[in-house]
Amino acid sequence: MVKMKYLLIGMLIVIIGIVAIFNFIPSEEKKVKKRFHFLSEWVSKSPDENAFNMLQKNKKIGTLFDEPCELKVPSHSLSGSYKRDEIMSYAMSARSHVSQLDLKFYDFNIVFPEKEIAKVTLTARLLGKSAVGEQVDETRELECVLKKIGKKWLFSAIEVVEVLKK
Amino acid sequence: MEPTYHDGGMNFCWRLPYFFSEPKRHDVVAVRFAGSKVMLLKRVVALEDEQVEFKDGKLYVDGKGMDEPYVHFPCDWNLPSRRVEKDCVYVIGDNRSMSIESHHFGQTSKSRMMGVPLW
Repeated sequence: MVKMKYLLIGMLIVIIGIVAIFNFIPSEEKKVKKRFHFLSEWVSKSPDENAFNMLQKNKKIGTLFDEPCELKVPSHSLSGSYKRDEIMSYAMSARSHVSQLDLKFYDFNIVFPEKEIAKVTLTARLLGKSAVGEQVDETRELECVLKKIGKKWLFSAIEVVEVLKK
Repeated sequence: MEPTYHDGGMNFCWRLPYFFSEPKRHDVVAVRFAGSKVMLLKRVVALEDEQVEFKDGKLYVDGKGMDEPYVHFPCDWNLPSRRVEKDCVYVIGDNRSMSIESHHFGQTSKSRMMGVPLW
């Protein structure tokens, strides 16, 4: 009877351990999603953001990208390899043209075609106000490639998919 | 899609129609991006293999001026003629009060048609 009791307690501990491992040790998919969470947080801008916060966020944005990173945005004639500094200055310039910005991601589809490479398809929505008070509301489908370098997943390619082709 | 559908309004997407039939001209359709959480509401104006163009704000399909009673805000858009590719349709919103550059419209794959608004 006592042996049975210890056996049940042991089994319970093992089950709790397995559940804990699955919940608290993030999977690669969760780690990839986390990078998008950071991108969303650091690209977004509140109306009361000061110059110091703006610079800090801009620096953090740079840490998310591989060097170089391939960007392809057909509607803005943007295509090619960009260094981290170039991406940071592009982000800085874009964020300075808006007073408020909210970037959100939806419909993640994450696959790992090779070890340490993640391919992510998702919908990105930008909502906000321009510096002159105009409404900003842009939705695009993105295809992103992230590479695991060291322990971090870094954006190595971002392409805007042309859902509607004029 | 003003004035047919208002910004911030609520609707449901009825997904059955395009399981059994092809999109037709003047249908209002929900076009998906990467998934079904964010969709665009647009109107089909031209079908596969048709030529579509704008001349001084008037829509022409295969050279014929289209009657569009659902457009309440006139525009002055000009768009050179282009052929709609295989398995695609050409969609535009009803609200054309903005510049052609600011309006999100064009050719899209039929596989992106999720359905029609329920009302």
